[in-house]
Amino acid sequence: MAPAAAAAAPTPAGNGTSVSAMAVDGDVAAAASQGFSLDPDTFQKIHPAEFHRRFLSQGVRADGRPLQKFRKAKISLGPVSTANGSAMVRLGDTTIICGVKAEVAEPKPAAPRSGFIVPNLDLPPLCSPNYRPGPPSELAQTVSEYMDQVIKSCDLVNPETLCIEPGHAVWVLYVDIVCLNHGGNVVDAAMIALAAALKHTRLPQATYYETESTVRVTDTFTIPLSVKRTLVPVTFGVFDAAVVIADPTAEEEAHLSTTLTYVLDAENGEAAYGVLKSGGSAVPRDMLVACWDDARKRAVDVVAALAEAEQAGNRRPDVAAV
Amino acid sequence: MSARIRSDQRKLPSEMRPFYCSSALLSRSDGSVRFKSGDSSVLCSVFGPMEVKIRDEKLDKATVEVVFKAAAGNSTTKERLYERVIRETLEASILTALHPRSAIRITLQVLTDDGGILSTALNAATLALVDAGIALRSLPAGVTCMIDQEGVLLLDPTILELEAARSTHMFVFDNISDGALSNISTGSFSMDEYTSCYDTCFSAVAAVQQLFRSSVEGKVRREHGPEADA
Repeated sequence: MAPAAAAAAPTPAGNGTSVSAMAVDGDVAAAASQGFSLDPDTFQKIHPAEFHRRFLSQGVRADGRPLQKFRKAKISLGPVSTANGSAMVRLGDTTIICGVKAEVAEPKPAAPRSGFIVPNLDLPPLCSPNYRPGPPSELAQTVSEYMDQVIKSCDLVNPETLCIEPGHAVWVLYVDIVCLNHGGNVVDAAMIALAAALKHTRLPQATYYETESTVRVTDTFTIPLSVKRTLVPVTFGVFDAAVVIADPTAEEEAHLSTTLTYVLDAENGEAAYGVLKSGGSAVPRDMLVACWDDARKRAVDVVAALAEAEQAGNRRPDVAAV
Repeated sequence: MSARIRSDQRKLPSEMRPFYCSSALLSRSDGSVRFKSGDSSVLCSVFGPMEVKIRDEKLDKATVEVVFKAAAGNSTTKERLYERVIRETLEASILTALHPRSAIRITLQVLTDDGGILSTALNAATLALVDAGIALRSLPAGVTCMIDQEGVLLLDPTILELEAARSTHMFVFDNISDGALSNISTGSFSMDEYTSCYDTCFSAVAAVQQLFRSSVEGKVRREHGPEADA
């Protein structure tokens, strides 16, 4: 990673190749006088935070991006042909796949016409060495919960449109989001995948038979789900409580003092559906506002990527038919 | 302005419910506090620094554990989100480097929930850490506000008011830094609404900080006599 990264960086102060520039301050004099050399790879392993600090102080990041540059979102719709809707999202090394499965369930007595959307993020051990087999990690649970709160509070899908027969049968949409490769900023990738998959979801025609009290569904998925808005998540990391970086990678995430996630409206960047900043270093008011402004620019790019994915999906007849 | 009466007889949208705390309620824990904000009330106990599970041990600092228990029912992912926010907020304020290879456990039990339970719990946790004598860098305090369907900003809403919320916002500020430590916002809101929520919560936190101050002063007086005041 590091040699390539150093090569990609526009070497403002000989980042990478020059040995003395890469050593930690305290070691510099001694290292230089003894002709001791430390290659960037080793330096990153020994002093990971200092490694990133050196890059950021030069206005560039270890993977060659400027501070405010996001990774391009690559979206493809319909990779899972058996699901009612699906999407795969890549942000750099981060890969997330999301499938929507519709099942028939009984509504709650208090809300006889309301269906359910159940988002669930899975961070399996295969995606990163930080996750172990067993019950879902705290991050997976809390991100799932936050997505659920955002979806519900912004009324993304009117739950009454999921009604099949009031009081008897409604659709429940299980939105399963699986991380295949954790390259940082899983929250953004997961929410983009969720938004794309829900837009792509088609439900079968369902009929309720009162005499047998059963629901029969057609074999083809024909009815598009009416999704009221498109959510665009945008995440920033804050390094040393002062330097804001957009779309952090997994290596950077481990050394951030805090992260900041906005959930914006795709059409109107003035409107937001969520902000999440959990602990860490304090973020002043003007930084919150400045990040929101940067997030709006990012939202435009994500919307374009979504539109591109939809066009590509329409050209492929096998995907469009599902 | 005073024409609007809120669901619990408060006159103003920017009026907080009366809040108070009582400390050292539990004999077995190192610190305990009950924080009440209107009809929301949370009991918090702190143990530590104490022995840490080997798996959670950190070589250079203490491990902070937060357990959040709702008033009724099994714990769900909602409680896990609260635990994470409270833990990540307090981890930044506790001087964890003073207690390497040990654990500080914060247990929060909701007694009654009438809105703003996360900020109430966080305030209880901060005071319980003070009560336990754990060294802190700053005192984080939380406040909740909401914007209703007509666009009116209501500070410290009750559960009844939250049902009609278009957006809800929880902010945490401390007494030394000039920014938000934590923020959870959901619902549908504009940037102007967001910044006015920030400003409202920022000024409201001063009152909570004032309570923190008088609570700590009371603790010092009890433990070291009245002359400690000077």
